[in-house]
Amino acid sequence: MIRHLFKLIWNQKKSNFLLITEIFFSFLVLFAVLSFGIYNYHNYTKPLGFTYDNVWQLWLNPQTDSTAHNLAVQRELIQRVKSFPEVEHASLSNSNTPFAFSQMNNNLSYGGKKDIQANVFNVQADYQKVLGLEVSQGRWFGPQDKASLHKPIVINQKLKEELFGDEEAIGKLLPINDSSQYAVIGVIDHYRSYSEFDPEEAAYFECINLDEEKSYFWNGLVMKVKPGAGVAFEEKMVRELSRIAKDWTIEVTTLEKMRQSKAKMTTVPMVALGLVCGFLVFNVALGLFGVLWYNINRRYAEIGLRRAIGASSKQIRNQFVGEVLVIATFGLLLGLLLAVQFPLLQVFQLSSAIYWESIAAAAFLIFLLATICAIYPSYQASKIYPAVALHEE
Amino acid sequence: MIQLIDIEKVYRTKTIETVALHRVNLHVERGEFVSIMGPSGCGKSTLLNIMGLLDEPTSGHVAIDGQPVKTHSDSKLAKLRNEKIGFVFQSYHLIYDLSVVDNVELPLLYRNVSGSDRRKRALEALEKVGLSARTKHFPNQLSGGQRQRVAIARALAGNPEIILADEPTGNLDSVMGEEIMDILLRLNQEEGTTIVMVTHDENMALKTNRLIRFFDGQQVADSRVLEAQI
Repeated sequence: MIRHLFKLIWNQKKSNFLLITEIFFSFLVLFAVLSFGIYNYHNYTKPLGFTYDNVWQLWLNPQTDSTAHNLAVQRELIQRVKSFPEVEHASLSNSNTPFAFSQMNNNLSYGGKKDIQANVFNVQADYQKVLGLEVSQGRWFGPQDKASLHKPIVINQKLKEELFGDEEAIGKLLPINDSSQYAVIGVIDHYRSYSEFDPEEAAYFECINLDEEKSYFWNGLVMKVKPGAGVAFEEKMVRELSRIAKDWTIEVTTLEKMRQSKAKMTTVPMVALGLVCGFLVFNVALGLFGVLWYNINRRYAEIGLRRAIGASSKQIRNQFVGEVLVIATFGLLLGLLLAVQFPLLQVFQLSSAIYWESIAAAAFLIFLLATICAIYPSYQASKIYPAVALHEE
Repeated sequence: MIQLIDIEKVYRTKTIETVALHRVNLHVERGEFVSIMGPSGCGKSTLLNIMGLLDEPTSGHVAIDGQPVKTHSDSKLAKLRNEKIGFVFQSYHLIYDLSVVDNVELPLLYRNVSGSDRRKRALEALEKVGLSARTKHFPNQLSGGQRQRVAIARALAGNPEIILADEPTGNLDSVMGEEIMDILLRLNQEEGTTIVMVTHDENMALKTNRLIRFFDGQQVADSRVLEAQI
């Protein structure tokens, strides 16, 4: 019967051409949207490597150009912040804190591996406690690093793999310039701070040493507050900090708010694409439904004949559902020819698995859509009375 | 072979009630070639539909090989139609998107028959009606007589015991009509196929071994009864 259906649809290919084309384009659009969605979902399910609950972000913007003065005020500020009973831990950082719209990167080299690009995060030792970072190899920054000959860094696993492969990373030295070197003191499994929907990139942390670095101002301050610390504490803290840092602009937000804001950068286009795709699929569904309905009315006599020569009403129903599925298969086969190029050619550098999953999901949705659209008209076809249908011609 | 007992068929609409068949009793024996004649609208086609299990009588019983079919499910009726009955229609009812041989194979699609066996049996049926050279053609490439021969081959492919033909020569000229009639007669005489044929053509009807006349939904004459009376 399947062969018969393929033959029938193939012989009717001219009349089914538009429908096949519609399914072809729907499949491609679904494939594209699903690839985007599955890619984001895959990233979303991967660990961030840190926790953002009860983490607040302060942006410090001094109004004067005197770095020395600003650093002095900043020292006072951080001491005052740490003294609040509501604050568990606090750390200065660059502006590229988690979920911020800021990135800093640097190229690292080791042995034959040249210019491996990695995100740089300048943080204080308490940053680990603020974000709950877990060190899987070696250690985090500590007081002993002040006497270190080389500049200590903690790297993430991704950077470790890119630089050292399976080799041990701890103790490895990486050139900063002709006179200084980084020393790897620890490895953390993950650190994916840019967005929940972005893939993990190579990253390393440098420790801020306020005693040595006098020419740079760190405008980010992250702190872990105790559960329950709310607006009242925020107002009190900003009031007190403003007394120390007169004329400074101090903005407070939470990592949770920043996370939501960053997530919208991905979810809004995803929802918009989903809506466009949904509208398209709805139109295709209407088209399928209409064409099938028209086909059944046009083929009344054929239905009567098939009933006369031995088709049961169930077989008539299955035949029409089958025909729609065959039409969908033709459209899908054309779409597959194009879609499989993406994983084979590694387009957009996405993993092949994402493309294959998207192809499978798009094909499944097309077949599901075709089946849903076919059920009612096919049921109607199965209810046609053979003696009446045979008189239609 | 086919027994119709007290068959009544009434078509009802909101405003009108039409009696298509009234108290029809008919027994078609195995191997008979029965022709049914009567004016248009006298109920011939309705009778054929009821015999072919395509329509249900309003009252009365139909039995095939002594088995009443009233309680049969839809799928059981479909199986009976598929295995025991072949249909030939005035307007051929071919599927124009399928080739001749694919059209002939159709009844076998609804049986557990392998693809190769289907093809073999379809080709045999086409040979019987003299269309072996046209197997790959499509119906619109054939003449009316050839199309009707395809329809007969389709009815034969399932190797049915009964052929029900509804005005099989109605759309054909006399020469082609004769050809079709010869095929049906040969099937009846050589293979013992039971045939019930509705026709308007007296000459064709006289070639069969039993002629039944209908008028206003009632059986008014049966040549076998008349012979018995003489």
